Formats: sequence, structure tokens, C-alpha cells
Amino acid sequence: MYGWIWRHLPGNAWVKALISLALALLVVYVLFQYVFPWAEPLLPFNDVTVNDQ
Amino acid sequence: MRVIVRTVSELCITIGTLIVLFVAYVLFWTGVKADSAMDRQVDRLQERWSKGTVKQSPAPGSPAAPANTKPGPYKDGEPFALMYIPRLGFTWNKPVLEGTKVNTLKKGLGHYANTARLGRKGNFAVAGHRRTYGDPFKDFPKLRAGDAVVLTDGVTWFTYRIDKGPYKTLPTDIEVIDPVPRKSGYTRPGRYLTLTTCEPEWGHSHRLIVWAHLDATQPVEEGKPEALRR
Repeated sequence: MYGWIWRHLPGNAWVKALISLALALLVVYVLFQYVFPWAEPLLPFNDVTVNDQ
Repeated sequence: MRVIVRTVSELCITIGTLIVLFVAYVLFWTGVKADSAMDRQVDRLQERWSKGTVKQSPAPGSPAAPANTKPGPYKDGEPFALMYIPRLGFTWNKPVLEGTKVNTLKKGLGHYANTARLGRKGNFAVAGHRRTYGDPFKDFPKLRAGDAVVLTDGVTWFTYRIDKGPYKTLPTDIEVIDPVPRKSGYTRPGRYLTLTTCEPEWGHSHRLIVWAHLDATQPVEEGKPEALRR
């Protein structure tokens, strides 16, 4: 799958590497900003009250 | 065949990276976010207090009776006090926000909305994260009877003294935040404080509780209370 992405990126190897890095950073950003904040409350660390509010 | 093996191994690496990233998020990034969120809440409180817009009692003629224990002008999700617990560290101080919603607890400690107001008759109950989101109550089990829990609402310093705890109970045990919590040993109505957090540290099967009573109050003009002086 990564090979497929690599082959479909434009430019020479340097450009490809730069685009890959940008893509990876974008993925991490989306994860930290949207996916993890959604997933984290599903774990038990948020249950600190006694009435389950 | 080779394509399948390659794809499966790439998937495994991806999932592994995801898990590592998620752990980093939970352990580290929630703390960074919570610290800045708490600082913002503290700044808002200081700013509001410096402007002198704190309304301590309802204006004359308003219907609210001073002795009732209903949440008065505390606004949901808004900070209204600062808490200091010297046992958790000399510089330990956290904002207390109204309500115990998940999003509120990411920005500070949460005051149970249906419990007494700070310093009033009844039980002023506060919940906080043990782990993640700045780990405010990480050292909760170190609290002992006699420890001070100091709060200020910008007008008055309230010094509570811990009487009992840490007491382990079940999440369904809502009577620990009753106006007179039965298991605390208190028998008469008074000005109490209850802190709750989760137990075990990373789990949610139980809760840890400490109870305290109001020991002393003093206006902020008189400086910090005894318990906060080095």
C-alpha cells in the first residue's frame, strides 16, 4: 500500500519524500485533532465522578 | 503471495504506529492541552477578580435565599474558584469549574452541580482526573486526615481540613456527596467538602473519596491563609 502511494506521487525521489512527509504530518494532525479526542472518552480515564454525570 | 505478505506487514506496522501515537496522545498530549486550558481558566479567574466583578451574595431584592444549597450564579462550565492542596505540592493549584461534564473536567476540577456552594452549609463536592488531562489528582492517595484543602473565590479564603480518606467506594455510591455523607463519620449538618477521583489509577471500577470540613475562612485582603504559608 505504501509502495502504491509512492509510485503515484509526482516528481522525483526528493519531491516524493517531501510530499510523503507532509502527508504523514497531516495524518498525525488529523489523528490528534479529531480521531483521538473522539476515541479517548471511550477509555475509562474520564470516570471520576460518583453519579456518572 | 508476496503482495499479500507485504500488505499485511504494512498494516501491522501502521496499526502499531497508531497505538504508539494514541498512547503518546493520552499520556502526554492531553496533559499539555489540559495545562494550557487550566492556565487559561486561572487567567480568566484572576482577570475577573481583579475587575472586582465577583458577586458574593445575590443583590438585595433577588429571590434567592442566602441559606439554600442550590447552585446559585455558578455558570455551567465556568471557573469560579481556585483550589490549593499543599500535600499535593506547594505549587499545586487548579481551577474549579461548575459541572462534571467530560469537557469541563478537561479544563480543571469539576464541582458537582447539585451540591452546596463553596463555603456554604452542605457538601461542596468536587471531582478531578487522577490520570490524563494534567493528572490533577495523581497523588490523591497521599492525602491524610488533617491535610488542608484551601479554596478561594476571589473574595474569601476557605480552609478545609480533611477528616477521612482516602476512602474507596463504588461509582454507584452517590451518597458520598450527600449534604451529610453517612460513611464520613459526620452526623450533623455542616460545611463539608468532598473530593472524588477514580481508582485504580488507570481504571474506573472504583472511586476514591476524601471528606473535609470547613475549618477557617478569611478575606483575601488578609493575605494567604496559614496553610499556604511556607
